[in-house]
Amino acid sequence: MSFLVLESIKKSFGQTQVVKDFNMSIEKGEFVSFLGPSGCGKTTVLRMIAGFESPSDGAISINGRNQNALKTNQRNIGMVFQAYALFPNMNVFDNVAFGLKVAGKSKTEIETRVKEMLKLISLDHLADRYPYQMSGGQQQRVALARALAPKPQVLLLDEPLSALDAKIRVSLREEIREIQRQLGITTVFVTHDQEEALSISDRVVVMNAGRADQIGTPSEIYNRPTTRFVASFVGTLNIIEATVVDPAANTVKVGENTIRLRESIGALKGGDKLSIALRPEAGSLLENAKGDTSLTGQVISSHFLGSVIRTKLEVGGNQISFDMFNSPDAVLPQSGETLTLRFNAHDFLIIRD
Amino acid sequence: MKAHKIFAWIAIAIGAIYFFVPLIGTFEFSLRMRRGVYSLDAYQSVFTDAQFRATFGFSMLMALVTIVVGMLLIVPTAYWVRLRLPQMRPVVEFITLLPLVIPAIVIVFGYLRLYNSSSWIPFTGSTQGTNVLLTFSYVTLALPYMYRSVDTAMRTIDVRTLTEAAEILGAKWPTIMFRCIFPNVMSGVLSGAFITFAIVMGEFTMAALLNRPAFGPYLQLVGANKAYEPSALAVIAFAITWLSMGLIQLVSRVGKLSPSRP
Repeated sequence: MSFLVLESIKKSFGQTQVVKDFNMSIEKGEFVSFLGPSGCGKTTVLRMIAGFESPSDGAISINGRNQNALKTNQRNIGMVFQAYALFPNMNVFDNVAFGLKVAGKSKTEIETRVKEMLKLISLDHLADRYPYQMSGGQQQRVALARALAPKPQVLLLDEPLSALDAKIRVSLREEIREIQRQLGITTVFVTHDQEEALSISDRVVVMNAGRADQIGTPSEIYNRPTTRFVASFVGTLNIIEATVVDPAANTVKVGENTIRLRESIGALKGGDKLSIALRPEAGSLLENAKGDTSLTGQVISSHFLGSVIRTKLEVGGNQISFDMFNSPDAVLPQSGETLTLRFNAHDFLIIRD
Repeated sequence: MKAHKIFAWIAIAIGAIYFFVPLIGTFEFSLRMRRGVYSLDAYQSVFTDAQFRATFGFSMLMALVTIVVGMLLIVPTAYWVRLRLPQMRPVVEFITLLPLVIPAIVIVFGYLRLYNSSSWIPFTGSTQGTNVLLTFSYVTLALPYMYRSVDTAMRTIDVRTLTEAAEILGAKWPTIMFRCIFPNVMSGVLSGAFITFAIVMGEFTMAALLNRPAFGPYLQLVGANKAYEPSALAVIAFAITWLSMGLIQLVSRVGKLSPSRP
C-alpha cells in the first residue's frame, strides 16, 4: 500500500472548484513534484495534505491513517514555505528547536537533534544568528532543518526556491534532494519551474485547472507528454498542424514535406488535420546528421542565446523552432534562407486531446 | 539659498515659537516661586505633596492595568482580523475610531446610566467596581491608538505564514500567540503601551466624573487653588508625555532593525 494516498480529492471555494477529482499515490521515500501554472490547484492540494484546508470531498491518508479529521498540529508533517517563515524573534537554534520543544522533548534530546540538523544543512556555525542576519538561502536551509527536526512522516515544500536568486536556487535544490535521499523522507514539492521539477523529482505531476494532466517520471513527462497542455507547458515544443495523407501508412504532410510517423495515426481519414509536436533540440541542420525524416522550410529568424542558437523556420504555415549548440565558428542562418531540418520520425509526438 | 527654502525655515521658526514660547514661559514661571531668584521650590512643593504621590501612583497603576487589559483585548482581535476575518477590518477600524468621535463626557455619562448602583451591573456601587469601570473607559479611550500601533506591527510580519509554520510544527493556539506572534509585535505593543500611559496620566473627564483620585483631577484642583505649582505640574506632565513619545520612537526603531524579511 502506498504511503501517502490522495483519493478523489475535490476542493471548492464558494462556487469555484479549484481541485477536481485529484488522485495520487506516493510511495515511502519518494520525491514527487507538483508542477503547473499559477492557479492550477497545486498549492491547494499541498495545503490540504498539511491540513490548512479541508477537502470538499475525498480522502487523504498517510501510512494507512485517514488524515481528514486531524488538525494540522496533529499530522506530524514538515513544511517549508516560500517566504521562509522563520520566527523573527528566535535565533537559528531556537527556530530549529521549536517543533521539538512543542513536542515536549528533553533538553538534551533537543540539543542533540538541533545540532544534528544544523550539521546536515552545514550551518552549525550560525546557531546564534537571527533570521534578519542571514541571507535568503541560509534562511531557507534553516527552515528546512526546522521542518525536518521533529522527524515528520512527510515533508512538504511549497515553492521553497522561488524567492531566491538563480545560482542559489540550483545549489539549494540539489542540497534539498541530497538531504531527502539521505533521510529517505517522503516529499511533495510544489513548483511552477519545470527545470526544478524535472531535475530533482522521482515523479512529476503536471497539474492543469485543478486536475493532474499527467503523472510520470521526468523523462516520461518531457519526452512523452500525453496532452497538449503538458506538451506546451513542459519545455519548449513546436506544435505542427499536419494533414493526414494515408492513415494505413501513417503518413502526414507538412507543407510540401511528407512524413511517415512511427506512432499510429488511429481512426483519422486522409485529408483530416492532425497536431504533431517536435522538440526544438530534436533536429539538426547538418547534411550528414542522423535521421530518417526531414522538413524543408525558410528561415524566419535566428537568435544567439549563448549555449544554443535558436532558429525559426516556416514550413507549410507552421513556425518551427529548433536549437543547435553554439560553437565558435557557428554561422547564424540568415532570414529567407532555405534550410532542411533532419530528425528521426520517432521524435514526433501525436497530440490527441 | 532659494526663496522657497527661506519660507520653509520661516514657517518652521513660527511653528517652533508658537510651541516653545508658552512652554518656556510656563517653565520659567514654575521657577519663580521664591521671590527674586529662580528656584525649584514649586517642584519641591509638588513632590512633597502627599496627594500628588497618591494621585500619581493611582493613575500609574490604572495606566498599567489599562495597558494589560487593552493589549489582551486588542492583540488577539487584530490577529484574528488579519488571519481569519479580513472582511471585518473596516468594521473593527470603525469601532476603534469611535472614541475619537464621541466625546469622553458622553461616554462616561453613558457608563453612569448603564452601570450605576441601581442598574443590573452596578459597577459604581463599590470602589473596586468604579476602578474596573475606569479601567474599561481608559481602554476605550486608548483603543484608536493601541489598535493602530498593534495592527501596524502585525503588518510588518507575515502573520498567516508564521501561524501556519508554528501550527505544522505542532503548536497550539496559546503557544502560537505568546511565543510566535506576541514577541514579534512587541514594538507595536510597546508603542501602544506608552501612548496609553501618556493618555491615562493626563485624563481628567472620566476620572473626575467617576470620582476617582487620579492625576488629571489633581492637576485641575491644584490649578484652581495654587499659583506656581500648576506650572510645575504642567512641565511634569509634558515631561511624562515626551518621555513616552521618546520611548515609542526608541522601540519602533529597535522594531525596524530586527524583523525578518524574505
